[in-house]
Amino acid sequence: MYTLSDTQIDFILDDIRRNGVELEDLQLNLLDHICCIIEQNLEDNGDFEQFYFSTRKMFYRHHLKEIEEETISLMTYKNYYMMKKIMMISGVVSVALMTMGIVLKFLHWPGAAVGIVLGVGVISLIFLPLLFLLKIKEQNQLKDKALTGLGTLSAICLTLGVLFKVMHWPGANMLSIIALAFLMCLYLPVYFFSGIRNPDTKTNTIVNSVLIITACGLILTLVRSPQGTRILEAQITSDYIMKDDLLKTEIALSRNNSLSDSVAVVAAGKKVFDLCEKMKEEIIQIETGKKTIDPNFNSEEQMIGITDFHQVVTDNPTAKSTYDALMNAVDDYNNKYANAGSSVHRLVLETANDRDFKSYDALTRIVMVQMFLLQNQRR
Amino acid sequence: MYGYEITQKVKDLTAGKIQLTEGALYPTLHALEADGILTTETEYIGKRVRKYYSLSSEGNKVSDEKVNEFADFINTMKFLLDIKTGIA
Repeated sequence: MYTLSDTQIDFILDDIRRNGVELEDLQLNLLDHICCIIEQNLEDNGDFEQFYFSTRKMFYRHHLKEIEEETISLMTYKNYYMMKKIMMISGVVSVALMTMGIVLKFLHWPGAAVGIVLGVGVISLIFLPLLFLLKIKEQNQLKDKALTGLGTLSAICLTLGVLFKVMHWPGANMLSIIALAFLMCLYLPVYFFSGIRNPDTKTNTIVNSVLIITACGLILTLVRSPQGTRILEAQITSDYIMKDDLLKTEIALSRNNSLSDSVAVVAAGKKVFDLCEKMKEEIIQIETGKKTIDPNFNSEEQMIGITDFHQVVTDNPTAKSTYDALMNAVDDYNNKYANAGSSVHRLVLETANDRDFKSYDALTRIVMVQMFLLQNQRR
Repeated sequence: MYGYEITQKVKDLTAGKIQLTEGALYPTLHALEADGILTTETEYIGKRVRKYYSLSSEGNKVSDEKVNEFADFINTMKFLLDIKTGIA
């Protein structure tokens, strides 16, 4: 049995460290192991260094660091199978939730938003990140890992972008633009040109690239171009000007009529009418920056935008208080007019909570309220 | 048992048929320790530190489960291979 000196032990420990083993625990384990082998197998007068190097060689295939890499990999991916299982379950759950959400949405039943948000949330924040982690474990080259990361990031941005759009959450367009830009300008060229060079992956690369381009193309066909938005806004604005002209004619007509209503009703009506004017002014101010719309709006780019009315009242406390006051005045008017007979138009104003209710819808509704009000007076 | 002892024990018990390599043994021991399946005690021998591994109470449970699973697998394979032999 060979006896190791302290210098020889230090020599072995230094050599282990020099060969890239950094975990202290592992260094000490390997040191004791090597010492045991030497003590058990080396003759008393044997050559220490030669024996040590030949023993060390049995520990690895290419270099000693492999043991540490394997240790870290095992400790990091100790949950490999658990991750795989969670990925599978999250995939099935998200598909089920999304299907449920979409069916409910088509039927206009409650719970649709919950299903869609959870479904897309699970796929974006659990399924796709896990897929990425499991996928890069199978890949050896940094380039492949980076490409997978970029692809996953684009996919997450795309799914979240669509979710945000459907839910009318802010940042939807930004997410979708980032996703499509990453996918088309970065991921696709790198994926295509690296995949097509390898005869094994050539066909798959072409098929997948065609699918990606088709998917992105289909999404882009659903997007309204800036020019399209301009045309739509011009149409909305001229529609509003026409409605307001109709209202002006109605106002001129009612001036010639003597009012048959009681003083209280007239006062309530006047309050509604004035609040309507104020509300319209505020919306137009928010949308265009001016209090009134110029009939030559097209040349001045002074158009009513496609804004959610909910957003308008959330961002502008004044507009919100005016709208609330208007809703109350309408209720008050309707109550005072309740006994006036069936030929009277009840004034109906939409609440601002509906996410599909745009500011131009609000303007139209307000003009209609004013028209009905004037018609009630002319009755 | 410490690392070297484990390799020798396996070698002796299997009459040299199974030889654990250090490259497989230590990563596994570290991962099992991190999982709480193994507990450790250290002994200082001069400049060397020897780490003794033993099964924790949870480790005993896991070990029983895995041994049963493996025995089950062996039985299934035996059954499967017997049928195969029968057909052949």
